[in-house]
Amino acid sequence: MGSFIKKDLLVFWRDRKEMLMTLLLPIIIIVVLNYAFAGIFNDDKEATKLDIAFVQVDDEEKGFVQFKERIQQLGLSQAEKETMLEHVENLSPITLIRNFINNPDVKEWVNAKELTWEEATDQVESGELDAIIRVPEGFTYEVLSTVMLGDKSTTALTIHAAKQSTEVTTLQNIVNEFVNSLNMNFALGREGTLSAAEPILPQGGREVVEGIDTYTISQYFIIAIGTLFGLFLAQSVALKTVTEKRERVFNRILLTNSNPMHFLLGKTVSTFILAWLQLMITITVTQLLLNIFPDKSVSFWFGMVLVFTSFSLMVAGLSAIFTSITLNLKDSNAVSGLTTLIIMSLGVLGGSFFPLEGFPELLQRIGEWTPNGLTMIAMIEYIQFSQFSDLLLPIVVLVAMSVVCFVIGMFMFPKRGRV
Amino acid sequence: MTEVKECKKMLETIKLSKNFKDKKVVDEINLFLGEGESVGLLGPNGAGKSTTISMISSLLKPTSGDVKLNGKSMIKDAAEMRRILGVVPQEIALYEELSAYENLKFFGRAYQVPKDKIEDRIQNVLEMVGLKDRQKELIKTFSGGMKRRINIAAALLHEPKILIFDEPTVGIDPQSRNHILETVRELNVKHGTTVLYTSHYMEEVEQLCNRVYIMDHGKVIASGTKSELLSILSSEDTIQVQLNKKSDVLLTEIKSFNHVYQVDETDEGLRIISRKGSNILSDLVHAAEKAGIQIVNYQVEIPSLEDVFLHLTGKTLRD
Repeated sequence: MGSFIKKDLLVFWRDRKEMLMTLLLPIIIIVVLNYAFAGIFNDDKEATKLDIAFVQVDDEEKGFVQFKERIQQLGLSQAEKETMLEHVENLSPITLIRNFINNPDVKEWVNAKELTWEEATDQVESGELDAIIRVPEGFTYEVLSTVMLGDKSTTALTIHAAKQSTEVTTLQNIVNEFVNSLNMNFALGREGTLSAAEPILPQGGREVVEGIDTYTISQYFIIAIGTLFGLFLAQSVALKTVTEKRERVFNRILLTNSNPMHFLLGKTVSTFILAWLQLMITITVTQLLLNIFPDKSVSFWFGMVLVFTSFSLMVAGLSAIFTSITLNLKDSNAVSGLTTLIIMSLGVLGGSFFPLEGFPELLQRIGEWTPNGLTMIAMIEYIQFSQFSDLLLPIVVLVAMSVVCFVIGMFMFPKRGRV
Repeated sequence: MTEVKECKKMLETIKLSKNFKDKKVVDEINLFLGEGESVGLLGPNGAGKSTTISMISSLLKPTSGDVKLNGKSMIKDAAEMRRILGVVPQEIALYEELSAYENLKFFGRAYQVPKDKIEDRIQNVLEMVGLKDRQKELIKTFSGGMKRRINIAAALLHEPKILIFDEPTVGIDPQSRNHILETVRELNVKHGTTVLYTSHYMEEVEQLCNRVYIMDHGKVIASGTKSELLSILSSEDTIQVQLNKKSDVLLTEIKSFNHVYQVDETDEGLRIISRKGSNILSDLVHAAEKAGIQIVNYQVEIPSLEDVFLHLTGKTLRD
């Protein structure tokens, strides 16, 4: 059987075009998708971080003096005036905004630096900065008048950006929410808690649960594309059988007294080796290029190799079925069409094109039983929980599936005299 | 054609038939190969030669009939047959991406040639087909003739006692063709290998084979040695007449001669088939004078197997 495996590997290796496609295409697609979708899915916080300028045009000291003078002119009792002035002493709207920008949650999104208006506008125009938060003249006086005396505000904190983007809109929403919460707190007379006011981040997106890592879109791509190309490898091997059949090499093999099952086993084992190598090369190269799995332990990598090894076995099993289909069908176009249909169906149902979460419940259930879907679910859970025990069941199922596929392939394999 | 050897039947087909759906492709073929014999199988395209070979070599199950090796049926278990049978297919059944050596090594292992003998066998067969110095080159870089020679080499690795050649010289250069014919002769004469040889080239069969089977429409329509087959035409003479110009009057006149069976126009004159030994020359000269035609040349042809084939099937081998 060794000669059959060696022959299949050599034939694949010598077809340089196919070899390059098999090994390089998944890597290229993962890299391209990673860059293309990085902004949308916001995985890479550094890549999507906003660089902004904080410009304080308002003279805070002048605003305080102005507000105190106004209080003195009001027809209030001396005690009321003193209480109000005492509150004002503890208030600094601009400091609150500064604290807000320096809040750790906001800092994950925003790099802020204090600049003059001219410097800031120059840098926004040159593209060095994304936006400016501007504290306009009279802001302190207006805020104090609004929250303490209920005046109508005519001056507001403004955000200026050269171009609108998802990130700038998000920043606007955060700032608005913050200003609203500030007003609410003042209105409720709980000024004392204001220094601890937290920015209210936009609703939606993925919920982050303590102690659990989220999986990134890059990690999704590597599993989705890696497994999809693994499935296509089973088809490539089957299409090589089309050539062997067409050029009567298969007949020549049948004319030898070797067991025809060696032919099928040779295909299966060589597919396993190729699928495994393809996945390992894809993971290694994309990891080196993109650092998709940062700071993961050796045991994590070991678990991942085990899952992909099981998946490679499954691909090998699938190649046994495809090879037998090829030998049973007379039309090579029918072989190509049928195997493509099977792979694309597995790809869609197994979440290789879109994450499974977006599917209706029934389709999700079906998808979980596809080899790529099962691998995807196992890996995503493993990325999130890093529990090796979570991998055992999917590994057993994948290996069992590969055995079942091989047995089906064996039964479908044509008997001598029927090809 | 070499002399017929007295030998025992090694391989035999008995009423071998194959139907594809309702179409009878091979119809109750009876043929045999004696040990050490070289037998030709002739027939136009679609005659059923390749299907017959496929059934003999166990690639195709017959609809009915039997294939016997040394008197033992091979229909249910052809393992013994495969051990001693080598088939050189019409197609280049080799891996284009592998070198000649890699192909031979793979097929040698598939034929279960022992590991300690495989190197010697590979070098021997490469020597035999004259490609020892090109063994490391990929098949896809070879010319058609070289590919055909490796195609033969791959069938020799397990030292078969019977070799079936299915049109092994189709579409190759004369040098490779001669080399292949020499190889076949050497295998048959020097090594005593029994050969079944199919070809479109009558001269190859005449040159290599002791006996010939002629197939048409799935049936064996004639068989025997060359002299036996030629005797089919022993009752006729074929006469080629070259004329200075064509004449319908003369053609009609000749058709009315006694003992003339058939008259056909050729590029240069007429082809007349008449009863063996009937002398029509004087009548022909007289008729030509009367029609004002001059006879440039007159030749009674010695019949060939090609004529026998034409006579039996109504078409030439390459039709």
